Amino acid sequence: MRSLRSEKTILLALAIQLFIAAFSSFLVVGLVSLYDPGSIDGDRTEIAVTGNDTDTILAVANEQAGVTPRRYDDPERAHDAFDLREVSAVVEANRHDDGRLSVRVTAPEGDLQTSVLVVHLRETLTAVERIERQRNADAGRLEQSPLPLPSSIQASSYVGFTYTILLPLLCFLPVFISGSIAVDSLIEERQRGTLELLRVAPLSLADVIDAKLQAIAVLAPLQALVWLLLLAGNGTTIAAPIALVALVAALSLLVVTAGIGIALWAPDRRQAQLLYSTATVGALVAATVLPEHPANTVAKLAIGNPTATTWGLLVGYCLLAVGAFAALRRVIGRLEPDSL
Amino acid sequence: MSDGRVRALVERFGRACRHLRETSARTGRIARWEVRRSAGTVDRKTVIALVVMLLAVGTAGFSAADDGLGLEREIYVVGVDEGSRYYDVAADSEQFRPVPLADVIAEHDGATDGDDIVVRGDATVDVVVTRDGRIGHVGENGAAAYDEFRTAIETYNANLMADEEDHAAAYPVHVTLEYRDRDRPGSTVSGGDDGDETEAQTGAVDGSNETGDGESAADDGGGDEPLQVPAIGGGGSTPSTGTPGSIAPPFPFTSLVLAFLFVVPMNFVIQAYGSTIMDERVKRRGELLLVSPASRSEIVAGKTLPYLLGLVGVVVAIALAIKGGPVAIAAALPIALLFLAAAFVGAMFARSFKELTFVTVTISVALTTYTFVPAIFTDVTSIALISPLTLVVMDLQNEPIQLGEYLFSTGPFYLSAAVCFLLGLGVYREEDMFAQKPIPAKVLDAIANRVRGPWSLPLLSILFLPFVFASQLLSVALLFAVPQSVAIPLVVLVAASVEEIAKSIHVYAGVTRSRFDATLRTAVVMGALSGGGFFVGEKLTHVVQFVGLPDLAVGTAAFGPAVSSEPLVLGAVFLAPLALHVGTAICSAVGASRGRAGYALGLLTAVLVHVAYNLGVFVLVA
Repeated sequence: MRSLRSEKTILLALAIQLFIAAFSSFLVVGLVSLYDPGSIDGDRTEIAVTGNDTDTILAVANEQAGVTPRRYDDPERAHDAFDLREVSAVVEANRHDDGRLSVRVTAPEGDLQTSVLVVHLRETLTAVERIERQRNADAGRLEQSPLPLPSSIQASSYVGFTYTILLPLLCFLPVFISGSIAVDSLIEERQRGTLELLRVAPLSLADVIDAKLQAIAVLAPLQALVWLLLLAGNGTTIAAPIALVALVAALSLLVVTAGIGIALWAPDRRQAQLLYSTATVGALVAATVLPEHPANTVAKLAIGNPTATTWGLLVGYCLLAVGAFAALRRVIGRLEPDSL
Repeated sequence: MSDGRVRALVERFGRACRHLRETSARTGRIARWEVRRSAGTVDRKTVIALVVMLLAVGTAGFSAADDGLGLEREIYVVGVDEGSRYYDVAADSEQFRPVPLADVIAEHDGATDGDDIVVRGDATVDVVVTRDGRIGHVGENGAAAYDEFRTAIETYNANLMADEEDHAAAYPVHVTLEYRDRDRPGSTVSGGDDGDETEAQTGAVDGSNETGDGESAADDGGGDEPLQVPAIGGGGSTPSTGTPGSIAPPFPFTSLVLAFLFVVPMNFVIQAYGSTIMDERVKRRGELLLVSPASRSEIVAGKTLPYLLGLVGVVVAIALAIKGGPVAIAAALPIALLFLAAAFVGAMFARSFKELTFVTVTISVALTTYTFVPAIFTDVTSIALISPLTLVVMDLQNEPIQLGEYLFSTGPFYLSAAVCFLLGLGVYREEDMFAQKPIPAKVLDAIANRVRGPWSLPLLSILFLPFVFASQLLSVALLFAVPQSVAIPLVVLVAASVEEIAKSIHVYAGVTRSRFDATLRTAVVMGALSGGGFFVGEKLTHVVQFVGLPDLAVGTAAFGPAVSSEPLVLGAVFLAPLALHVGTAICSAVGASRGRAGYALGLLTAVLVHVAYNLGVFVLVA
């Protein structure tokens, strides 16, 4: 308890997590806008369409956001226009004897505009491919007709990221950091020999460790709650906040208990931290064998589509945490304080 | 006469050699101790525990490798009847969980009103496929789920087509994508860009089943398409080809992931390195080394050497494994150095293991961000060069790297690492190592230790420049995606604050540690020296302009406009910053001589003046 009085440390922890969240959001905004031009307000770019079969492409491109097609009869002229920067890209479409449409796209060498342009062109050409496929299916050349695609709508590309990556990250980071604090806090007392001083106080070793454990374990759900409130303030609906906080509390108790256990067992800080981080990262990887990864559980609870498995796992984590805590208490009860 | 001088010279040379030999011998001995002790403390039970853990994780990871992490598994619910054609889409897709339509839809739907889908109040569902094949979405995340469902249908279709016999009918459109440099008409671009493109594409085709990504899920049979289709046009390059879904914007994804490998081990090594430095400070253990004949720098060098060598070994091994060239190693080296240097300073300042943990996490996150984020934009803009990781990415793509580019991107790293070690060495002494001083006091100690006489002030101003430079570049890079109306004022503010702090912090440290008198006259002289030094240093950093950074509006905001060619303007452009730097530095120096509150006030004034100046220049030019 005393060791947490310096609330600066917690502020620092919050700052780091905010930084990580900002970092990952930035990463995703950057990546998504590279791949999804809809998220960048691009003006329409003109493209030259040429070749011997351009009808479908022209029709589709006219409907398509972001590109304006211009028909050139002569491919040479189209490429000249490209070099003179009158058009941003040249699309040359030729029909082959086997019925295939061969499209040759010439785009300017890499910059951000090109990325956006290529994505627009990909959408256009995929639409052309769908039309062509449907035509082939109607002509009986395909055994199975492709399913018709519903019309596209404006949807945020960040929803999936927020629920499946950002939110689990924000829920698990406090847990990880809490465990790390627990390891440090105990091993430091052991290495500096200050645990001896505490034993002069009318407290048993179990009391001291208990106090440390509880104080640190409470931090993570509190932080998670703050993140949930922040996200809710930003317009992200959290379907089951109580369940989420309970999940974080259970995991936090579990991880902090494990951290204390490692700190009691390992001889010095380097090894304790090594063991602790390996164990936590390892547990996250090993959790893939569960029917639901914990991150997936978080996502489902937050988005509001939990299944029976989700609830079962939540209860399981709670039981496991309480069990681990009880086990640790028993071990400490039997521990000789002088052996530390 | 001359004989004696020669002898003296030889003698001095001999002494220098001896000194060097002794220094390296002591450094080497401390390094050996460090290695032996570190190896010795890893006891058997830790090793066994680690091995057991790694085995368990390995088995679990291996068995789960086929399914992926399953982070998105069944996060959306779709109401669809088993008879529907779309049922298989939902069942095949990882993100969707199908539920029977009867569970979610109110009775007597569809028949009465044609447009609306009425969902039962207690049902949780995101997407609904009605019996007549219409698809609708419900709730707040419905739109996103609908969009994903659309993607899932595309994936499903792609898989359907992959089973078709008639390839020509299943893949009726064949796309060839080539990039051309318009500044050199007629020449198609070849080389690294395309090479990577093709590589990424093969990956997408091969991995279509694992990734399940709709867009890149091309076709298993389509991989050999380029052979069937007669080549059109005779471009000199190797353009990327495939189905429309498989074309992708130029993005060095593979190289980026590989480059990231270099940074990963550094995060682990600094944990151990920070611990060992911190260990010296616990229970005054380091005192024994401090009273030994070894100097402070020898001790630190000795303790750092094993970790640095270890990192170099790891970097070389990674470079060999991923086929990176010597440039990749040379670019990863300064990153490793800076990681160690930052961990060293952190361990010197931290008061407990807990703080050390935070410090190392901060270093990891900050440096990883700083190196990784810009590298994403390797192909897009020259700003990416602020990170040495960009050089690694370029090297992996077999792009040539000029010496100037190398210096530009690694220079700040080398310098920052050197400054960090210097500052840390300043507090590697008894009164700071074993005392529980507040961190700001220690920072001031570290800086004040380097303040020796008035001429060290301009020198320190110059030495702080890498940090100024790095933080400004980082702010430019981070605000790159933000609208310019917000980004530019922010960048100006950050740049001004950082510069003013860099110009005044050592003055303040010098005054509070009684290196200088707190009189007005000294304050003015100190401010002028510090500001002048900063100005000289800043002129040196105009190397930036060689890389063409001022082309970017945001870059101009941070580094000032490009120099004009008119003599009068040139003179003004040259002298105005000098006046500004000296003026603001004097302002904060005078504040610093009046104690802490005075310093804060002086600094604030200086920042405000600086911001006003920068905005003025920016408006004037733009």
